[in-house]
Amino acid sequence: MRHRFERVTRRRFLKDTARAASALALSAWGLEAGRKASDAQELTFPVERGASLRVLRWSQFVTTDRPIFEENAARFTQRTGVPVRVEYETWTDVQPKAAAAANVGSGPDIVIGFFDEPHLWADKLVPVTDLAQYLGRKYGGWFDVCPQYGYSPQRNAWIAIPIGAPGVALNYRISWVREAGFDPDPARFPKTTDDFLRLCRALKARGHPTGFALGKAVGDGNTWVHWCLWAFGGRAVAPDNRTITINSPETANALEYARALYETMIPGVAGWLDPHNNRAFLAGEVSLTNNGISIYFAAKNDFPEIARDMNHAFFPVGPVGRPTELHLFSQAYIFNYTRYPNAAKEFLRWIMEDTQYGRWINGMLGYVSHPLKAYTDLAVWRADPKHLPFRDAVARMLPHSYAGRPGPEAARALAEFVIVDMFADACTGRRSVRDAIRAAEDRLRRIYRS
Amino acid sequence: MDRLEASLPRVAARRAAAGSLLENRDALGWAMVAPALFLLGAFLAYPFLLGVWLSFTDSRIANPGRFVGLENFRYLVGDGVFRLAVLNTLLYAGVAVVLKFVLGFALALLVDREFRGKRFVRAAMLLPWIVPTSLSALVFYWIYDSQFSVLTWVLRAVGLVDRSVNYLGDPNLARASLIAANVWRGVPFFAIGLLAGLQTVPRELYEAAAMDGAGPWARFRWITWPLLVPVAVVVTVFSTIMTVGDFQLIWIVTKGGPANATHLFGTLAYQRAVQGGFLGEGAAVAVFVLPVLVACVALAYRALRRED
Amino acid sequence: MNRPAARLLTFQLPLAAFLVFLLFPFYWMLVTALKPNRDLYNLTVNPLWTWTPTLDHVRRLLWDTHFLPWMRNTLVISVGATALSLAASLLAAYAIGRLRFRGSGVLGITIFLTYLVPPVILFIPLSRIVSALGLWDRPAALVLTYPTFLVPFCVWLLLGYFRTLPRELEDCARVDGASRFQVMRYVTFPLALPGILSCLIFAFTLSWNEYLYALVFLSSTDQKTVPVGLATELVTGDVFQWGPLMAGALLGSVPVAVAYSFFVEHYVAALTGALKE
Repeated sequence: MRHRFERVTRRRFLKDTARAASALALSAWGLEAGRKASDAQELTFPVERGASLRVLRWSQFVTTDRPIFEENAARFTQRTGVPVRVEYETWTDVQPKAAAAANVGSGPDIVIGFFDEPHLWADKLVPVTDLAQYLGRKYGGWFDVCPQYGYSPQRNAWIAIPIGAPGVALNYRISWVREAGFDPDPARFPKTTDDFLRLCRALKARGHPTGFALGKAVGDGNTWVHWCLWAFGGRAVAPDNRTITINSPETANALEYARALYETMIPGVAGWLDPHNNRAFLAGEVSLTNNGISIYFAAKNDFPEIARDMNHAFFPVGPVGRPTELHLFSQAYIFNYTRYPNAAKEFLRWIMEDTQYGRWINGMLGYVSHPLKAYTDLAVWRADPKHLPFRDAVARMLPHSYAGRPGPEAARALAEFVIVDMFADACTGRRSVRDAIRAAEDRLRRIYRS
Repeated sequence: MDRLEASLPRVAARRAAAGSLLENRDALGWAMVAPALFLLGAFLAYPFLLGVWLSFTDSRIANPGRFVGLENFRYLVGDGVFRLAVLNTLLYAGVAVVLKFVLGFALALLVDREFRGKRFVRAAMLLPWIVPTSLSALVFYWIYDSQFSVLTWVLRAVGLVDRSVNYLGDPNLARASLIAANVWRGVPFFAIGLLAGLQTVPRELYEAAAMDGAGPWARFRWITWPLLVPVAVVVTVFSTIMTVGDFQLIWIVTKGGPANATHLFGTLAYQRAVQGGFLGEGAAVAVFVLPVLVACVALAYRALRRED
Repeated sequence: MNRPAARLLTFQLPLAAFLVFLLFPFYWMLVTALKPNRDLYNLTVNPLWTWTPTLDHVRRLLWDTHFLPWMRNTLVISVGATALSLAASLLAAYAIGRLRFRGSGVLGITIFLTYLVPPVILFIPLSRIVSALGLWDRPAALVLTYPTFLVPFCVWLLLGYFRTLPRELEDCARVDGASRFQVMRYVTFPLALPGILSCLIFAFTLSWNEYLYALVFLSSTDQKTVPVGLATELVTGDVFQWGPLMAGALLGSVPVAVAYSFFVEHYVAALTGALKE
């Protein structure tokens, strides 16, 4: 499969005009010259004659996203003559659609989806190593997590282009944190797990409980429990992607910590899905939660007094001594049934180049964080100091499959909420810490057996 | 068979000439069944056989896999989550179907009479059934909110509870809440089916029985019920199947949580096959439903046969 | 006990209880659709009422989303799937129930068994067929696939009805020299009208509500159906735009409800007329 594809690509490149050849040469030269020669190092893919593209992506989190994305697409059409049709699905519905497309062998040419998706149908995708390397070179390099998501060891190639992470940060009420005797400045917000627990307890003692989702909340539930697990050194699976390592004293520590944290939470978190904490926070029911920027955005629209009184901070660092965050992670990939792989690559290149990508990410108002280092000084991260913690989402995150690889097993463990359930079991007391770990170990063993 | 089917209108026009064909039960019978069979064969039986085949393979999305015999089933039998889903499904379907039948029947009896506003009531009682499940599930999702539940607000106002009720956070409460939502949606289905059945009972029979001195219970027991049984059986069986195969409501309100307490076959199959990409295993989860349902249908069919 | 009191206890109160149970969620939709966002997360005001109703959500739904095209698509698809299913089911049910031809018993069971197959497992193999037929992203894909869950039910409901109908009427007609088709058309089908209308309601509703196939087989925004479309444009990440969503749920059901109220009465009338003669 792989060989055949590479051959096709190579043949196309050889056959195509001198423009393509020189573009390749230039990009190779760009490797040494670095960013200085950015005008000269442009890579372009020779678009197939009569090409047209269908793009499937998640529907917008914020209303300014779609017009900008479509304008970028329209300008692409103007420039290349390739019409682009964009289709939108709710972010959790992209996967079933892509799955059907992968299975049938027809459907959208490009999908912008989440997490493991490209690794679930890795051998149905067009390798995009050249594009990934070009973008990395041109824009200061990918953050560490990106190759782990975009590169497939099985294909020995990049199979997806990271688009960004809808980042998650701690959301807190300034006045209540101050009331609890802590400095509400995000720069001085508790930096260690111990300080953080002290803050939560102080908030709870003053009648302002915290709230972290423990139901099947794809975003909010997964992000905080994985942070907690990793912060104490626990991990589901070893780097060999086979040995289950969840049953460890580190995991037990993480669960004990979560139990202490649970004492400070509002009742009901065990059934929370993604939207619950938004509402509870906006109603003043909880003082502290983890969420994307959507709460702040809703507050600015409808609850200005809460918007003024809230801020965001990084998750604290645990005993392992480095950030261990998890964020949703979005990637674009090209199915190899497409008749226009070059047009598809060119489209992805186009939307990732600074003129387009910058506008798009700025327009998403902090909902999505960039995967390329050079985008760290985009206007959106300077527009409002309260956006700042979202800026570094990709820089601070680990892949959800940590320490294993993204792939069917990790996808399944995530889809089955193994880690969330383990935390929920231990926190609510449905199981002891030991039993919760054993149950998770058992499930992980079954998932990673093959 | 296509030829026969195409010739039907012509035959109808020249019925005298073609009378013999029309009177041939076998030919006519199969011709009339053909369109239904075609639809079901092409869009159901074929993909279904593919699905059954999948359950015997280790297929993943975009990867046909190979035949593994009963491996998926063996794996599932030893899987705690799957076993919990079996129990959940039995509980969910059992309780919900009984409640829907009782309430639906009561409602049908209530509205099977003349009264002012009948038209409004009969239309209104259908509403839960006609609003798209994906949307009514959202309403319940919100009604059961842990902080902003209007239900809690009402219960508080009348003094029944003094703090928030954790509808979806507690396993048993979550099960009960979902059953209530399913019953809400399904009652009109029973009510309308049984009402239609009630209406086919000839009124003369009641009048005759009343003249013979039969009381309301006797009339119900010896006239209404026997005539209603076929409809009741069909409605119940279909509702059972739909309830066992329920997906949307659960998926939107709890996604199978808390801690898998509300996973049904459908949600588990979807989670494993689509989200996890393990098509073979997901198919096996769904195929597991078949024996249960076949048994249920066999019983119903026997019941109907006896009535004949 | 006097009559009005008895009526109150055995009829009016239970009926009122039923109506509250069945209609409350709709009231809740309505209030939500008219509430300004601020009031949604405000625990201090009575949630059952709003003093500052707004039409913003409705406006948003109608002008900022593709709600109207979705309504049209849903209607076209539902009518098409219902008509197809009903025609196929009526013929099949009559044949199985009345003709008693060789194999009819087995066929009845087979058709019924097909209903047992959960769509969740069908949709991936089915997507291959839909794609092979070139129906991807076309309403026809749904018109052809919905009968798979409509026909089995309709056939069986009609079978049940045919059984409750007295055979004598048909036999008499036959003796009088009517052909099979005349019997079907002038005797059996009119008698079965309540059953047919029940099927109609059933099939139409299920088509209107279907989610999974509509989600997978349709792609373009303006081709979608109401249940799928609303979620796509009004659930933004972890924020549910309750106001427009609920307005959509209401507007999406009310026209159907009106049509149904007509059918409900129609079938009662048809019934009394047909059976009393």
